[in-house]
Amino acid sequence: MVERALLLCLLLLGFWGVVAKKNIIKKIFGLNILNAAAVMLFILEGNRIGTEAPILESDLALVVDPIPQALMLTAIVIGVCVTALALALAVHLYQITGSFDIDTIRERVKDAT
Amino acid sequence: MGKRKAWSPILQAGLAIGAMGIVLLPVFLCQTPWPTAARDYLVQHGQDESGAINLVSAIYLGYRAFDTLGETIVLLVAVIGTMGLLSRVESLVNPIGDDDNSIQTVSAFSLRGEKRSSHVLRTHLLEVVTGKIGPIVLLFGFYVMLYGHLSPGGGFQGGVIIASGIVFLALGNQQDNTSVLSKSSILGGIESVSFLLFIVVAISGIFFGKGFFGNPLADSAYPVGFIVLMNSIIGLKVGASIGFMCIAMMGGHD
Amino acid sequence: MTTILLILIVLLAAYTLSSRDLLHGVIALSAISLLSAILFYILQAPDVAITEAAVGAGVSTVIFVWAIRHSQRKDDNHG
Repeated sequence: MVERALLLCLLLLGFWGVVAKKNIIKKIFGLNILNAAAVMLFILEGNRIGTEAPILESDLALVVDPIPQALMLTAIVIGVCVTALALALAVHLYQITGSFDIDTIRERVKDAT
Repeated sequence: MGKRKAWSPILQAGLAIGAMGIVLLPVFLCQTPWPTAARDYLVQHGQDESGAINLVSAIYLGYRAFDTLGETIVLLVAVIGTMGLLSRVESLVNPIGDDDNSIQTVSAFSLRGEKRSSHVLRTHLLEVVTGKIGPIVLLFGFYVMLYGHLSPGGGFQGGVIIASGIVFLALGNQQDNTSVLSKSSILGGIESVSFLLFIVVAISGIFFGKGFFGNPLADSAYPVGFIVLMNSIIGLKVGASIGFMCIAMMGGHD
Repeated sequence: MTTILLILIVLLAAYTLSSRDLLHGVIALSAISLLSAILFYILQAPDVAITEAAVGAGVSTVIFVWAIRHSQRKDDNHG
């Protein structure tokens, strides 16, 4: 229960980072934190029904749910791909406009077009 | 028509976060027990149907192999997008001069040969240490990749460790001794060939009567050979993709 | 143990988003990945722990440091 409340805080922190911060790199930080919070939620919930890791060494142990873990493997790799693409976009914007601040970028792009 | 006075940013952000919190509250308050039917079925039949002891490997290469296919496609798209954007980032190709009005760019870890003597951060210590550790990390990555069916590990895990090993090898070039794995043409070739092999292996299940992504070795003596083969292909693909992106970002692409 | 790790992760996330120097934020993000890898190991998920450790503390930090190197390091308006 406490862990779920902390994960809700982490999710809202990531969301705040994406929405309210003016620096693009801070927005990408927020994206990463959102990703980490979602992955942690799945693994935490899957852990509730067992006590051992899902590797069948001895037959009598009660293993945790292996399905959320398999899904989160894919999610983590996709998260790093999204971060790489977002950072390439951010650096490209910096080369064009000279700033990471989104208000400045919006003005300079509007002046240029 | 006059412009409406915009709400203050703090109020806007607070409202957005409050709305998000209210929407997500049922997720974090529900008390229904997590269903156990999937875990029970997998514990009983997972090892017989796929041959692997590691249930997570049996899932993402056997029961849910389409997710893995989708993930390889997302990797491909991300690499294409990043390379397309990086070819326009000028400082990687032509270093901008140092007039104070233009954008100052410092690419301290540039991998180009001619920058080696001018960059203060490319010390001899960095090159020697990363050059020597690189093959060890690569070996560890191959081990994690190939033992995915018996212990924690598998295609994705081994692949990202191989990517780190490739970055080490690219950083550790001494004099003119560039490692063959840090050339972007070779890495691009490995990635494309392993994607093709992945599709070919998936289709081969059809010819043996087991359906797309079916295990063609299911009736033979070693059904786990299919999982080992797929793990290797996925590991090479993920490693080559992420290594390619990292090396291209650090300036080593041609 | 999971509660302590989660509290540390929340504090580090708050520091990441409000630091003046972007490089400090990147190091804090890398620390978040490391702590969550330990958390995944405690929650009996070794595969996810290996992937998170290699990806979060390795590749992700490298590309963030590249992006900051190619541009500026200070967050100008502490936004």
